[in-house]
Amino acid sequence: MSQQPEAFRLDAGFWRATALLAIISIALMILVVVYPIGKLLPEASSASLSIDFLFRFMAFFSVPILVFVNGYIIYFCIRYRRRKDEPLDSIGSPIHDHRALEDTWTIVPTILMVALGILSYLAMPQYYLKGKDSAATIEAIGHQFYYEFRYPGLPHAVDNDMYLPLGVPVTIDLTSAESDETRAVIHSFWVPEFRVKQDMIPGMVVPIHFTPIELGTYKLICTEFCGLGHAHMWGYVHVVSRADFDAWWNSQQKNAQTQAHQAINFASGNASSGQALFAQKCTACHNAAPFDQRKVGPGLANLFHDPQHPDLVDGKPANARDVGDILEHGYQGSMGVMPNAQANGLNAKDIADLIAYLQTLK
Amino acid sequence: MATIELAHPASHIHPAPEGFVRKYIFSLDHKVIAVQYFITSGLFFVLAGLLAELIRVQLMQPNNTVLDPATFNEAFSVHGSAMVWLVVIPILTGGFGNLIMPLQIGARDVAFPWLNMLSFWLFPPAGILLFGSFLLGAPQAGWTEYPPISVLASPGTSMWCAAIFLIGVSSTITGLNFLVTIIKMRAPGMTWTRMPLFVWASAVTAFLNFIATANLSISLAVLFIQRTFHVPFYDETRGGSPVLWQHMFWFYSHPAVYIMILPAFGIVSEIIPTMVRRPIFGYKAIAYSSVAIALVSFMVWAHHMFTSGLAQWIQLPFMIMTMIVAIPTGVKVFSWVASLWGGRIRFTSPLLFVLGFLSTFTFGGITGVMLASVPADVHEHGTYFIVAHLHYVLFGGSMFGVFAGLYYWWPKMTGRMLDERLGKIHFWLMFVAFNCTFLPMHWLGLLGMPRRVATYDPIYWHTNLFVSISAFVLGASMLLFAYNAIHSARYGKRAGPNPWGARTLEWMIPSPPPYYNFKELPVVLSGPYDYGKPLPYRDVDPDMIEAAAMPAY
Repeated sequence: MSQQPEAFRLDAGFWRATALLAIISIALMILVVVYPIGKLLPEASSASLSIDFLFRFMAFFSVPILVFVNGYIIYFCIRYRRRKDEPLDSIGSPIHDHRALEDTWTIVPTILMVALGILSYLAMPQYYLKGKDSAATIEAIGHQFYYEFRYPGLPHAVDNDMYLPLGVPVTIDLTSAESDETRAVIHSFWVPEFRVKQDMIPGMVVPIHFTPIELGTYKLICTEFCGLGHAHMWGYVHVVSRADFDAWWNSQQKNAQTQAHQAINFASGNASSGQALFAQKCTACHNAAPFDQRKVGPGLANLFHDPQHPDLVDGKPANARDVGDILEHGYQGSMGVMPNAQANGLNAKDIADLIAYLQTLK
Repeated sequence: MATIELAHPASHIHPAPEGFVRKYIFSLDHKVIAVQYFITSGLFFVLAGLLAELIRVQLMQPNNTVLDPATFNEAFSVHGSAMVWLVVIPILTGGFGNLIMPLQIGARDVAFPWLNMLSFWLFPPAGILLFGSFLLGAPQAGWTEYPPISVLASPGTSMWCAAIFLIGVSSTITGLNFLVTIIKMRAPGMTWTRMPLFVWASAVTAFLNFIATANLSISLAVLFIQRTFHVPFYDETRGGSPVLWQHMFWFYSHPAVYIMILPAFGIVSEIIPTMVRRPIFGYKAIAYSSVAIALVSFMVWAHHMFTSGLAQWIQLPFMIMTMIVAIPTGVKVFSWVASLWGGRIRFTSPLLFVLGFLSTFTFGGITGVMLASVPADVHEHGTYFIVAHLHYVLFGGSMFGVFAGLYYWWPKMTGRMLDERLGKIHFWLMFVAFNCTFLPMHWLGLLGMPRRVATYDPIYWHTNLFVSISAFVLGASMLLFAYNAIHSARYGKRAGPNPWGARTLEWMIPSPPPYYNFKELPVVLSGPYDYGKPLPYRDVDPDMIEAAAMPAY
């Protein structure tokens, strides 16, 4: 009815602009194809290759859409601007619609979406499902605010540092837990270089599956908000050669046999190193101020001599040994979790230093 | 049409209210309520914006100590919640919907003015509750408040539940109210395909508000009950499921994305034909694609949960439905661009914001498709990539639409023009600063920076510093608008009924519109965008017809 094809004729200027935009698009599309993503962020797992292919595919077709939409906006704005000498009430083309054009811009994106859907579907089993070819299944447990790994055949858990042999398919069972099970929260397991991410959800065990294909140490990052220490929750995944993996494995086995309880020598504590440690490790949650000036945990200025709070939060008397106990094993507070010494990176000497410092506070 | 029955016979006009309180505080007039919405959400925009600046101050360098982790978490949680529920939704639906929609359909008010007043008065208490939660320890788990951490969090999280619950009820009522208004109270002769596109957008938004928001209210009530009475809905140790919340929350919050963008689509569709002085290209495609988007929007929620441990067979349909959204959205964008073709484009500040909208929203739409693909999302989820994406659609989309609408309808609302030169400076500053702020975030996310962190790996330092500085400029650009608004109240040029020479019904009455809007209800003879043809209305003031033919800008 309102279609007036003769009025819709596109002029030479339009085609020139179109040709220019096409050239820009093609140049950028070539750039997308040859761009070395792996240089920017190593492609260190089997899943990363198919995911990067998908990303490239999407970027490849996004480029012309962006170039043409923005390019035509700019071109039309220049070409059809109201000239200074034109009256304010001058009227533009009366065309309402153009069936063929509208069909095109409905059908072409539909085809692109179908293609993207199929490619995405094909890439999906690359990670995620429990692999039939997995050499081993490792349990990864998210805690506030560190990761715990349990290897089959290793008598103790390993915190924050995961070792994987190069080229061996693995399955990682992910979950989240705390010693007080009602206080477990959702974490996430993300290694950007692996392009693999999965939430660690209390009460659920979700497997991910991949093969590490490049040697290196990669950061393991929590991407699901998990509380005050969320920004500091990370670990490392070490992809090592088979020989290095075996060496690590043997040392872990040996550690398990010889590791006795490390006694803390309180007398050796150095208050000034303790003060530095306190600033570094404790001040996110504790003040060196009276009990009531709490952040996440209580203020610690009067820890050892507070008539109003003679006992520690765990009900034990405020003496060096029991404070050392909390530092060593962590504590489940009302507003958050205090990590244990291992997660905090504290050794026996550090604990003695910290207590020596805390004892100097008044 | 043999007889045209008037919805409101002329005898039905009540006298205008007397007294300050009935006129300005507990007003039933949709135009006054709209202004109340604008002022209130404008205030919350300032507060939530300041929180954003605080977040960027903290992130200027790694291991910064301006905010401690708890305060930082509160800042981003309240920033997100306030921007979504106290700014974008109320300003688009409550503000523009109330101000423009009844005028555009030639109605004298909305269908249920008392409900409309109730809707508004649920809104300030919600804002006070949300910002008041800082006194008890504000929510810390982001605007999505995933359990279990939101169940374990500070008492302020219960205030958050109550606040958003109030907003939810307000949205549901407004949705019902607008839906009935649009269905029952259009001027005689205004068939569905003669409705302005902003009314189409408002109708679809009202439908979404009415249907989807109830679900948000339920999930919030359930969270509140678990927090207060320890009923373990979301507690897996006692038979509940933390993932249940994610399903319920996103079943609302994905349609809510369209609640936040469809009215902006409507604003864009109004401004383009006016400033380009030619009919909108593909009126029906733009109108019906909104309906398509709304229907599909209910079937995509799990795309927010691709890393939440859903089975693969359930991810597949959600991925496909999400990709389908791109098709009607693309149709709209292409139609708007084609509307520029062959026009006589007048570069007024509303149009500049619309062009900015087209550019940034298209970019946000494309990254949206990248997030729809499950394997790609597995890498991008929970990182700064998604922060960048959502700001491109929510700020670059919705907020650019809001500013376009403000510059466009300001003269209708107040009777005075905003300063055009300041408006253009505002646009360019905002557009450049916006892109400098959010474009680098895509890279940060893809390279490994997670979202919601108070500190980060020092390798991201320089990019974050650049982002922060841009964010300060972006914040400062808002001052130009504030100055412009205050300045125009005294010194702004008198607008006249129709400064832009537009053809929709709100411009056929004086600015600001009189109480009860239309002395005589106009009769609509055809669609509103046929520039160059005689106005399609009977019974409008002849002066207005002249004003429509000769724009002043």
